[in-house]
Amino acid sequence: MSLWPADVQERAKELIGRYPDPKSAVMPLLYLAMRQDGYLTEAGMGEVAGWTGHTPAQVQSVATFYGMFKTEPLGQYLVSVCTSISCMLLGGDDVLEAVEEATGVPHGETDAERLFSVEHVECLGACGGAPAVQVNYELIEGSTPDQARALCRWLQDERPEVVNTDDMQERFGGRRSFDWAIAESENAVGPYPAFGPYGTTPGGEV
Amino acid sequence: MSHAQVLFARMAEHPTDSHTLVMYEATGGYVQARRAMDMTRDEIVELVKTSGLLGRGGAAFSAGLKWSFLAPARPAYLVVNGDESEPGTFKDRQLLERDPHQMIEGIIIASVANEVREAFIYIRGEYPKPARRVQQAIDEAYAAGYLGKGIFGTDYDLDVTVHLGGGAYICGEETALINSLEGKRGEPRLKPPYFPAAKGLYMMPTIVNNVETVSNLPHIFEMGTDDYRALGHATDTGTFLFSVSGHVKEPGNYELPHGITWRELIFDVAGGMREDRGLKAWIPGGASAPWFVPEHHLDLEITKEATGAAGSMLGSGAVVVMDETTCVVKAAERVVRFFSHESCGQCTPCREGTTWLEMILRRIEAGSGRPIDAELLLDVSDNISPGLTWPPKQTTICPLGPSAVSPITSVAKYFADELRQHIVQGGCPLD
Amino acid sequence: MTDLVKITVDGREIEVPAGELVIKAAQDHGTYIPRFCWHPRMKEVGMCRMCLVEIETPRGTILTTSCTTPASAGMVVHTASETTKKAQAGILEFLLINHPLDCPVCDKGGECPLQDQTMAYGPGESRFVEEKRHFEKPIPISDLVFLDRERCILCARCTRFADEIAGDPLIEFKDRGNHTQVQTFPDLPFSSYFSGNTVQICPVGALTASAYRFKARPWDLRRVESSCSHCTVGCSIAVEASRNDVLRFNGVDNDATNQGWLSDKCRFGFEFIGSENRLRTPLIKVDGEFQETTWADALDLVAERLGSIIEEHGGEAVGGIGGARSTNEDAYAFGKFMRTVVGSNHLDAQLDDGLDARFLAGVSPRAKIGDLDHAAAILLWAPDLKEESGSLYLRVRHAVQEGGAKLVVIHPRRTGLDDRATHKLTYRPGQGFGLLADLAGGEGDYAAVLETLSHGPVVAIVGRTGLTEAPELAEAVAGFALGLPDATVLPFARRSNVFGALDMGVAPSLLPGRVAADDAEAMAQLEAVWGPIPTHEARDTLGILEGLAVGDLKALILLGADPVRDVPDATVARRGIEAAEFVVAIDLFLTDTNQLADVVLPAEAFGEKEGTVTNLEGRVQKVNRIVTGPGQSQADWAILDDISRRLSKPLAFASAEAICKEIADVAPAYAGMTWELLEWDEKEGAVVPYGEAVQPLIHHPAAADRKALEAMSRQPSSGAFALHLARTLYDDGVLMRNSLSLHALAPGAAVHLHPEDAGRLGVTEGALVEVKSVDASIRLPAVLDSSLLTGVVYVPFNQPWTPSLGAALSVVVAAGKEVSA
Ligand SMILES: Cc1cc2nc3c(=O)[nH]c(=O)nc-3n(C[C@H](O)[C@H](O)[C@H](O)COP(=O)(O)O)c2cc1C
Ligand code: SF4
Ligand code: FES
Repeated sequence: MSLWPADVQERAKELIGRYPDPKSAVMPLLYLAMRQDGYLTEAGMGEVAGWTGHTPAQVQSVATFYGMFKTEPLGQYLVSVCTSISCMLLGGDDVLEAVEEATGVPHGETDAERLFSVEHVECLGACGGAPAVQVNYELIEGSTPDQARALCRWLQDERPEVVNTDDMQERFGGRRSFDWAIAESENAVGPYPAFGPYGTTPGGEV
Repeated sequence: MSHAQVLFARMAEHPTDSHTLVMYEATGGYVQARRAMDMTRDEIVELVKTSGLLGRGGAAFSAGLKWSFLAPARPAYLVVNGDESEPGTFKDRQLLERDPHQMIEGIIIASVANEVREAFIYIRGEYPKPARRVQQAIDEAYAAGYLGKGIFGTDYDLDVTVHLGGGAYICGEETALINSLEGKRGEPRLKPPYFPAAKGLYMMPTIVNNVETVSNLPHIFEMGTDDYRALGHATDTGTFLFSVSGHVKEPGNYELPHGITWRELIFDVAGGMREDRGLKAWIPGGASAPWFVPEHHLDLEITKEATGAAGSMLGSGAVVVMDETTCVVKAAERVVRFFSHESCGQCTPCREGTTWLEMILRRIEAGSGRPIDAELLLDVSDNISPGLTWPPKQTTICPLGPSAVSPITSVAKYFADELRQHIVQGGCPLD
Repeated sequence: MTDLVKITVDGREIEVPAGELVIKAAQDHGTYIPRFCWHPRMKEVGMCRMCLVEIETPRGTILTTSCTTPASAGMVVHTASETTKKAQAGILEFLLINHPLDCPVCDKGGECPLQDQTMAYGPGESRFVEEKRHFEKPIPISDLVFLDRERCILCARCTRFADEIAGDPLIEFKDRGNHTQVQTFPDLPFSSYFSGNTVQICPVGALTASAYRFKARPWDLRRVESSCSHCTVGCSIAVEASRNDVLRFNGVDNDATNQGWLSDKCRFGFEFIGSENRLRTPLIKVDGEFQETTWADALDLVAERLGSIIEEHGGEAVGGIGGARSTNEDAYAFGKFMRTVVGSNHLDAQLDDGLDARFLAGVSPRAKIGDLDHAAAILLWAPDLKEESGSLYLRVRHAVQEGGAKLVVIHPRRTGLDDRATHKLTYRPGQGFGLLADLAGGEGDYAAVLETLSHGPVVAIVGRTGLTEAPELAEAVAGFALGLPDATVLPFARRSNVFGALDMGVAPSLLPGRVAADDAEAMAQLEAVWGPIPTHEARDTLGILEGLAVGDLKALILLGADPVRDVPDATVARRGIEAAEFVVAIDLFLTDTNQLADVVLPAEAFGEKEGTVTNLEGRVQKVNRIVTGPGQSQADWAILDDISRRLSKPLAFASAEAICKEIADVAPAYAGMTWELLEWDEKEGAVVPYGEAVQPLIHHPAAADRKALEAMSRQPSSGAFALHLARTLYDDGVLMRNSLSLHALAPGAAVHLHPEDAGRLGVTEGALVEVKSVDASIRLPAVLDSSLLTGVVYVPFNQPWTPSLGAALSVVVAAGKEVSA
């Protein structure tokens, strides 16, 4: 029997329906499970197992293979700083240090309040706008240590319910990999990528 | 430097709405896909072969030839590879975000050519915005009857599904991607026997093509193969997207023909070195490519062949430029760290070897290098990529393991002194 | 037949099947290529990279894994070139950098592939000076297996076994890259019936068995091969002992039977051999208490009591039950003893829980286990094989997964093979006849099932799905199955050597060699060797027990049988034995039954004696001695021989081997079956031929005869539930009770019922439920089980602390009143 509310179950069914084999839906459902609990709980993995026909051990095996399925409690804001080669060349390590300092959270950890989780990550595909930072996977390019500090302060003070990539780029970003051209209205609400079909965006979708 | 813009043309001319169906249609969109509907599989495959289109995902394999290998069993699947995660690469992101319909039209053409009724676009999980743009475009295309049941009023059904990755570079490797799409760990499969065109998604014939590769298709149809070939170099047709990053004044994506020189790319196109510092080295084709240095390579033509002959590759088109202040040991450590972090872990040499290399480099960088470490780095590398040749041999299943060897052989080849100084001085000589 | 191709390995040309993996082809021709992940019974994954070799191809020489490369004509392979050696040494160095090298305290030390291959192919010394990977060690991943992730080399043998072979993907890789580890899901242990196989195939000491940890060093072990006695498949095993203790069983790869695998019951169920509870001296009952005594006194007493009963009432006043746990030689001795020394035909190796002896021995054409691999369809109308015969379960699973056979499972509830079934039919116990008629008719929903079964070859595995099932149903099913295209039947019964015992004539209706007891000609031939055989009507186990209860029979001889536990109706068993004037039991342990005996004689167990056994397909294999029995225990045949001498009708057996020769002489089907043959020429065992010697022994209603079938159907009386009573792998049998690692694993007493029924009765999961039969009323905790049909309850048979329900076919069920503390 499912632990999920009826609308989430509907969403799960829809996601499964997108694939020829229910097992293929395991990743989208893991995101859905993270949306439910804020991170990937054992119960969440068990639930995904039930929907896809995997055993819980198989779901855990898949989930832990990937970096974005987090099996430990996370903060409201997951701040990811790229320290791969291109960002490192342009000061990614300093940005990371600034974020750790401003949040008081060393990389790989979450504060007691569960406001911030901080991590350094490998290449985010924003090398032309290095160094790159993401908040809940929403991108900010061309950041500096000062801007990164300001970003963290802003998150701490304002506690925005949702974060928006264009908005944050405007406030705390610099040079972009390319012209973003048009602003986008979709927002992220938690430490998982915001993607409408997965029901991981804000609003009444799930 | 002026250059022909093809894939980037629409977004250059219509910056605010190049991603919309309205603009796409207004600029000739979906006409080529409609044309493809009236062609046979053989005709399309032949056309693409003639165009000379090479895959843009890194391996530069002829797209038409790959399609011709598709096994007869059905259903066949198409998977568009938008996992773009190799350090230095960010061109697919721009295509996905700024001109998604161009790719979708390419998907329709590739599907018709390969008798595909169900296609997937695998987009890396850290790209929610590109994924949203693509999803919006797909929704528009469904609404317009370009996707879904009976596309273009024919009896051809085509469904396209966006699948978000979960943060694993290895899923860019096509068989790992297929495993991932099947809901498994993204571990590469054995090739042979699991060549996707024979036994791919759900063990059925599957075509995996890169976002940029597919985005070229409408243009090949529109221009015809002769004009398309004329855009580029004799052996490398069409244009090529370079992602330039690092210590240049103007990093970014550039659409260029093959055949210009590295000097032109770095100093003209990308604006030259930041603060006019000296150029120390650059990675010509993504993190897995061996490095180039100005003494030997600056005036080399940028073609697949010339780059290969000089011991490296164009790969996914990512050029990472390092100036004279760069510590090569640290740079190598970052690249090796990437591959160690991203190793799927099934092969012993990749899992253990890349981590070991990373540990040695980090120790040297931290000042605890031992005199034998320089030799050890190379010998461990040799056990991952025997002979340290180019193109690399491998003791592994997929090329990820050997990729970690490139920065080490590069440092050993061009910066042996600097490495030795690190070890002897107990730290970075540049600090 | 696959084509042969010529390839060259290290300069030597060999001929191998085209497409055979190079690693296997080379090995079969004497060149061993080192490996860790490759296992001949699992799909190749090419992960460890240890088996790298150089192969010359038209496009130059490549270094590649021999475990993933199929042999093709003209291939030139170098397994010891400089490049190969460097690569292999490199792989070993990589594997060792994170390995703890704690060989002195590791169970695997001395028989460790990693250790061995490091000596043979490895680098001299590690150049790794960094910090090794650390994990908490070792962690239990099940009741029987420990995992040390620091020792693990991530070859995925265990995870692949769990998924690919056992169908229990409960251990998997977790995390990625250098952090990859084998793991279970929290609170969901690797509770597979097959978990122990992972210990055997782990190429390092990462997986160890709780029953064997720190017990011995490999170089102290002695080893013999034998045939497992836990079910009727007769899996090949290696028995290992140190000093006089059996310490370990391992699977041996016999292509005909287990292909190397064992269920945990078979692997760890050896502990009973060395149990402290084994009988060591003869016991006689004095004033209601057993007293130890000498063999001479005990045998004198047995001879005196039996002799006087025979003298007074005739041999037919004596019954004999047992023999299914013995060797063929012991069973033959038992049959000959009963019929010629005692002069009684009342003898039965079955315990009222099987099928008609003549059906089991005689149904033909009989399938071989290996036929499953080539079957187009498999009909499984039998017990849940996962619970009753682990290796047969694995073979069926494999045949469906890899061989592409379509599987039809018919059973009253969920079975372990449902996930592999093309069709699964569920029915109410008692109503299988109607279902059979429907299936044979192929109407409606059954058309598709019949269609699946209409492509041959069909292999039907037929047995009683549970203990309340009418035995005639299986015969009718077999009759139906034999009408399917190219069909063969594998009759299923599970008790160890029951097929051997029946072949030895330990059944009311059979003589040695699958001959019907009413076959006058065969009888005459046997009498020529044996002397006169009584002609009175023979009783089966139930008949013997009932006869004892009413005084028709006076004495009972038990040979390794525990009717109070194993006869479904324990009440009848107990009543019979209590009423007997004299009971003598030959056994390993004191049991619920032989507690009631007058004399108990200590017997030798598996591993303590030699002989032959016969499995369900008729395959005869050798069992061997590795330790001596405890105390004064003796082989069954020797005990019977001693009694016969005291009764002045000496059987005069010289040895078990001599008995085997006598069997070959008198039992037509066993002609030529000698120990030498089995030890040298037929190491996979020799299948007893099914020739004219066997008569068609099935008598059942035809599947097309709907009327006759429906007449045999049973309907529970209104308000009652049909009872499905079936065995589980682990139960409260005497061997389990004395195998400490396993006994705790019995699922325990319970009554399973459909959630709808439970709802109607107001019963929730875990609540106590009153289950009433004609004979008994017991309380059991409820388990909601939606795999049952409504109106059916399932009770696992012979669980610890579960009283018997008697001979019930149906029961009345009610919510139990709360028991106050
Ligand atoms: C380790 C590894 C990572 C890869 N990553 C990507 C990637 O992110 N995107 C991509 O298109 N191709 C990637 N590839 C190449 C793919 O395997 C495949 O060749 C490609 O998607 C085929 O498309 P194409 O023929 O259009 O280039 C990668 C290959 C390897 C070995
Ligand atoms: S080389 Fe590395 S990433 Fe590729 S399959 Fe082997 S372990 Fe996985
Ligand atoms: S045995 Fe071939 S790769 Fe492991």
